[in-house]
Formats: sequence, structure tokens, C-alpha cells
Amino acid sequence: MLKSRINRREFLATTALGGAIAAAGPYRPAEAQTKSLKVRSYIAPERLDPIHYLGAPEADIFDCLYPGLISYKPGKEWGWQLDAATSIEQVDPTHVKFELKKGLGWSGGNGEVTAEDVKFSYERIAKPENKSPYRGDWEALDRVDVTSSHTGVIVLKEPFIPLFSTTLPRAAGNIVCKKAVEKLDGQRFTLEPPATFGAYKIKKIEPRVRFTLERNPGWPGERAMFDEVDFVVVTDANAAETAFATGELDVALLPMTAVPRLRKAMPPKSKLVVSPSLAYWWLGMQMEDGIFKDKRVRQAVQYAVDAQSVLDGAFFGVAERSTGIIAPGMIGHRPANKIAKPDLDRARKLLAEAGHPRGFKTEIGVRNSAEFINVGQVIAAGLAQVGIQAEVAPFDSGVQKAMASDKAGGWKKMQMHVVRFSMAPDPSWATVWFTKEQIGEWNWERFPDAEYNDLHKAALREYDAKKRHDMYVRMQDIMEDSGAYVFLTHGVNPVLHRDHFIPALAPDGNRVYVTKFKST
Amino acid sequence: MAATDTVTAAPRVEASASAWRRLLADPLGAFGLALVVLIVASAIFADWLAQYPPTQLDIRNKFSEPTLIHWLGTDHLGRDTFSRVVYGGRIALWVSLVAVSISLVLGLVLGMLAGYGPRWLDSFLMLVFDAVRSFPTIMFALAVVIMLGPSLETVIFIVVVTSIPVYGRIVRTLTLSMRVNEFILAERSLGAGPVRVLFHHVLPNVIGPVLILASMEIPVVITIEAGLSFLGVGVRPPTPSWGSILNDGYAFIRDTPWLVLAGGMPVIVTTLGFTFLGESLRDIFDPRLRRD
Repeated sequence: MLKSRINRREFLATTALGGAIAAAGPYRPAEAQTKSLKVRSYIAPERLDPIHYLGAPEADIFDCLYPGLISYKPGKEWGWQLDAATSIEQVDPTHVKFELKKGLGWSGGNGEVTAEDVKFSYERIAKPENKSPYRGDWEALDRVDVTSSHTGVIVLKEPFIPLFSTTLPRAAGNIVCKKAVEKLDGQRFTLEPPATFGAYKIKKIEPRVRFTLERNPGWPGERAMFDEVDFVVVTDANAAETAFATGELDVALLPMTAVPRLRKAMPPKSKLVVSPSLAYWWLGMQMEDGIFKDKRVRQAVQYAVDAQSVLDGAFFGVAERSTGIIAPGMIGHRPANKIAKPDLDRARKLLAEAGHPRGFKTEIGVRNSAEFINVGQVIAAGLAQVGIQAEVAPFDSGVQKAMASDKAGGWKKMQMHVVRFSMAPDPSWATVWFTKEQIGEWNWERFPDAEYNDLHKAALREYDAKKRHDMYVRMQDIMEDSGAYVFLTHGVNPVLHRDHFIPALAPDGNRVYVTKFKST
Repeated sequence: MAATDTVTAAPRVEASASAWRRLLADPLGAFGLALVVLIVASAIFADWLAQYPPTQLDIRNKFSEPTLIHWLGTDHLGRDTFSRVVYGGRIALWVSLVAVSISLVLGLVLGMLAGYGPRWLDSFLMLVFDAVRSFPTIMFALAVVIMLGPSLETVIFIVVVTSIPVYGRIVRTLTLSMRVNEFILAERSLGAGPVRVLFHHVLPNVIGPVLILASMEIPVVITIEAGLSFLGVGVRPPTPSWGSILNDGYAFIRDTPWLVLAGGMPVIVTTLGFTFLGESLRDIFDPRLRRD
């Protein structure tokens, strides 16, 4: 029989040492600290083609593989910097000259990156027949003139203010390989880009699991900090926190409700960056059919919802109340809501006038995730005080979109909904979704205001910042006056990361620029 | 006739008393019975037991640990967890009783028709049963929820559709073995129609085993309801459900462990209770299956 050679003291010492190691966090030797980086991808990347990508984590990947002429500057202020271009200049409101860096080479023997690739990439998104969801980014594009192998001119049909704030630095500005893409069926790709030229190249793709990049030795630009970058798919927020604690992730975007807990007890050797988000949450009411067709009913809901309780209950008080769809600091940010506080008596009076003195039954459609369900539950509790019995109906996001787009009338089933839209740093990115053209697409309230539509179009061409600001404020006033909207919050984006590097994040924390990370 | 009734009634009462004695003599059976009585009673008297309305928010008091005021603490919205568990039990039992009853009745009728009816009907019903059973329950449930939307009625529909073949197959087998019995042949030769044969002779003989099966299906249904609610496709919030309490517990497990325990324990206790009781009843009414 074997006898244990460990005595009680040794056992206690070993246990204490083990505990200390565990408390100190995952060990990473110095060379490992720059060897690899593991970034949480909160959706499984499916489309790495800028013409039809699905979300920010995909754009984070293709920024490493085929950047654009310019990109956002990481940090706290929104601004842009040169990326694949050596220069870019707006010569007049409709002409933008650019020059590409020399020596940027496509993989797979596809030659050098040229102005023809830029022309192909931008015009392909703009062409109506290609049906890109991002066509709006290039709505004003007339053509790209190629003036030499590395120079060209972007020619616009009319002035387009968001060009430098949301089109060129985002996915619509990324450059794909004309020669390689033209050989593809349908001239678009999903998970396997046909050619890349960025700071990284693809090492391994494990669909729905991870996407591994390695340093591109042919990249002539600034050397990235990490030899390898793993975009690890962790869709569940709880699992992401656990993965960070066990060293499986180095950078993770977490839900807002994690912030108070993390502030009380941070994981060892880590830092938390909480950035104000540009995204916007609201409670919307479908105003074309059903009970919310009556404006008095919609206004009753506006007066009954206690937005502060929503923030305290669903977001643990981390986020501020929003005053519209445009975040603080941006042109068009509204100073205050017209209905700033709940007024239950007024709500009851409006319901009585509308013929519902005892309220009614309804449902609040939400995305099937804890944050959305909690928002819905707090709103339901508020509505119950004026007799409106609202059930929370969780849906997968695709199902809600399909209902909204259902030409057979499926949209009539939508009554109230809690929605969050992501946002880019130009107000037009928010207002575009509520135009008449978006009814049956993203305008789920079916809000049909002609003045709003005209203002949206005019603001895209308005260079005077004050006038433009006033236009967007007026548009949000119209939205609130319609009764169909209760603005809730912009929220925050908490990003947890290891402390041996300074992450390069977008000012709203929603994008991770791994090529621009710095060592501490 | 009155004399005959008296003669037949006495053994029935005696048999029933004997079954009770045997149930109470079986420690696991008695334990299961006690758990079931406890759960059913708490669901029936939820209005008296719960100290707070199950949807009442008290956001400032979120994540309270168990106290004398909140016996199982509060959740992330400050709702009293004990009240939600008690009302969640009412939902779980209601769903399971309604769903099991409907599927039991339909399973009995279809199973008897398959076993006693023409060959083509038997083949057709078996094909339908096999087709339904070939779908994994959760996948089937998710598909139905996408089509109909999440609700209590959808959960019941899912359970009914997936459970009918369970009862139908057993009833069919029992009916097939009974239809060749001499007393059935005698009844038919005396001119009895299929309805009379099925409902006067076959049904009383197949109902016992199926009722025992139904009692053992209740925890399965409760688990399905909790599972769908956990996935967010079952009972709609803010209506309390053990599954949604578990889901909240999972989402906030780093903030409090009590929610997971509060949502998980009732499912475990109910499953154990009904399983022990069902097994004991099975042993009592079907001695061939009795455990050694």
C-alpha cells in the first residue's frame, strides 16, 4: 500500500501557494505577453466582406486584413488617421483626392494594392444592384476616378458630410482585392477572404470557435505589438467573464451590469475601460395599426414609463438617461427630453380619453438576452401602474426583423418593442433608420413624418454646423412628439483587459483595433 | 343487482385501502407523496404563502441575501424570490397538469384506435407517432416557438404534441393484446360495436398503467417548461417560472448564488417527488415490475 509522503504542513504550504498563484491571475512570461492576444468576439464571424458584414467583431478582423484609406484614431475623441493612404484631401465638397502607400501587396500573387482596388471596393457597395445593406454609406458616390496606379479621386454626386466621419474610417471604406474578388461567384465572400494585405494574415479559421491571425511579414507599415491574434467566439457574457478570469481572453467587451461588480473586485492584473456608448436604446410603439394607432395611447405610455427605474433596474445605474438617438458630444444631441419624468395621472387621463380607462393587455417585444428582458420587465412594472398589462416577449433578433419586414402584415403583430441600434459618430447614422423609406425595414414604429424625411436629406448636405445641429434636434423633437418613442439610454461599453498592454479602442469602446495596441 | 353492487364495491374499497397502506409502507413512495403534497399545496396556497406580489419591483433592495423579510432573498430587480418560486410552482404544475391531461386523453383515444381499428389506420398513426418522436424535443420546441411566439399556450402545445406518441404507443400495445381476449370476442359476438368495446372493456383495463405513466411524465413536463423558460422561449416575463428564475440566477451568478439555488431546487424536489411516487405506484399496481 502506498503511503502519502506529504505531511500536514507541506499540504497547507502547497495549498497556500496554489491559492496565491490562483489569486495572482494567469501567469504570462514576458515573451508571451507580446506573442499572442485573445480578443472576445461576441458574435460568431460569418461575413468578412465589407459589402455585407454583420457586426463590429467582423470589422475588427477585416481591419487587420485589408484596412481602408483612413481609420479611426483610438482614444477618447473621435477623429481619423491615415491607414492605407499616404494622403487624402477634400479639394471641394464633391471631390476627394487620395494617394495609396506604395508596397502594399495582396496575398496569393494578386499584385500590389492599387487605386483600381479602391474604385472597385467603393463602387461595389454603392451599386444598387449589389444590394449592400451599407449602400447608404456611399449614397452620394458618383464614381472613383483612377488617376494613376496609386492615386485617385472620389467623386460625389452631391456634398456628403458623413464621408470622413462614418464612411471612409468604417467598414465601407475598407479595400478589397479587385482581381481576387472578381473571380468569386457573385463577387462576394464570407469567411475566407480571397486576398489580404494588412498587418496580419489568416493563420487558421475555426468557424464559430475562433479566428486566428498571424503577423504579415510583407506589411510595410508600423509593426503590430502581437505576433498572433485570436478572435475567440464567446457569445455568452457570463462565459466571457469566466474566460477572462481563466486567461482564455485578454480583451473582452462585457455587459453594463458587470461594471459595479468589477469595480468592487477586479480580476488580478487587469483594467476596466468604461466608455460612453453612441448606441441608443428606446421603447418604440408601432403606430400604424392596432391599439397604438391612437396617439393618446402612445402618449400615455410615454408618461407612464419611468426611464430612471429602467436604468437603475436593468443597467444597475451605470448608464445615463438619453434625450434622443444622438449621444452627448455629437452634433444634434438634444439637451433634454420633453417628457422628462413619469406622470401617472396624466397617463391615466390620456388612457381614459382614448377609451381605455382600465388599461389593456399588450406585449413588449425584446431581443432574447438578459439586458433586454430586464428592460422590458421594468417597463412592464411601470405600465402596470396605469393598468396596462404588458408581457415581455423575447425574440431572436432575426425574427423581429422578419416580422417588421413581413409584407403579408406580420408587422401588425408588433406592438411595443425595446430596441438598441449601434451607431457611428455622425448623426445621420441614427436618423436614417426612421425615414419613410425604412418602413418595413428598420423603422419598426412605422413613423411616417414628411418633415423628418426632408430634414434628414437636407442635413446630409448642410456644412453649417449650427444649422445642422438644429436640424437633428428638431428631428428628435418630431420623434418624441409623435408619441411613438421613449428614449432610454445610450449605455456604456465596459471593456476588461490585461494590464500589460494599452488597448486601442474606439472612443465608444465598441471596436478593438488590435494593430494599434501598445505595450505598457 | 343491488346485491351484486355491494359485493363488488367492498373488494374495491379494500384494494384501495391496501394500495394506500403499501404506498405508505414504501419509504421512497411515502417520501415522494410527501414532496408532491408539499409542492401541490404550496402552488394552491401561493396567494397566502407569498409575502409579496411576484412581479413587484424593489430595485434598491436587489440581490438581498435570505432574511426574515425575504426568505430566499431578492433577485436583480429586487423581487422577492420566495414569492416568485411559489408562484412559479403554480405555473409549472398548471402547465404539466393541463399538458399531461390533454396528451393523456388524446394518446388514449388514438392508441385505442390504432390498436383496435383497421390495419391502415394503425400504420398511419404509428407513422405519425414515429415522425413526431424522431424530432429532438428541444429542436422541435424552438421551431414551434419561432412560428407561434413564446407563451404558456405554446409550451402546452409543444408538450402535448411530443407526449401524445408516448401514451399512444403504450395504449396501442395494450389494446392489441386485449382485442384477442375471449371476453372481448364474446362481447363482439353478442353484437357490441367498437365504441362499446373500447370504452367499456378496453379503456378500464389500459387506464391504470397509463395513469402511472402520466404521473411520471409530470416531472418531465415541468423540466421541459423550465428548460424553455430558461432559454427565454417559455413563459413570458414578468410571469414567474422556475426556468426564468434559473436563467436570472445564471445571468447574475457572480452577484448572488441564491437565485440559482432557488430556481433549481424546486425542479429537483418536484422531479424526485413525482418520480418516487410514480415508481411506487407502478410497483403497487403492476407487481410484475416490482423492485426486489
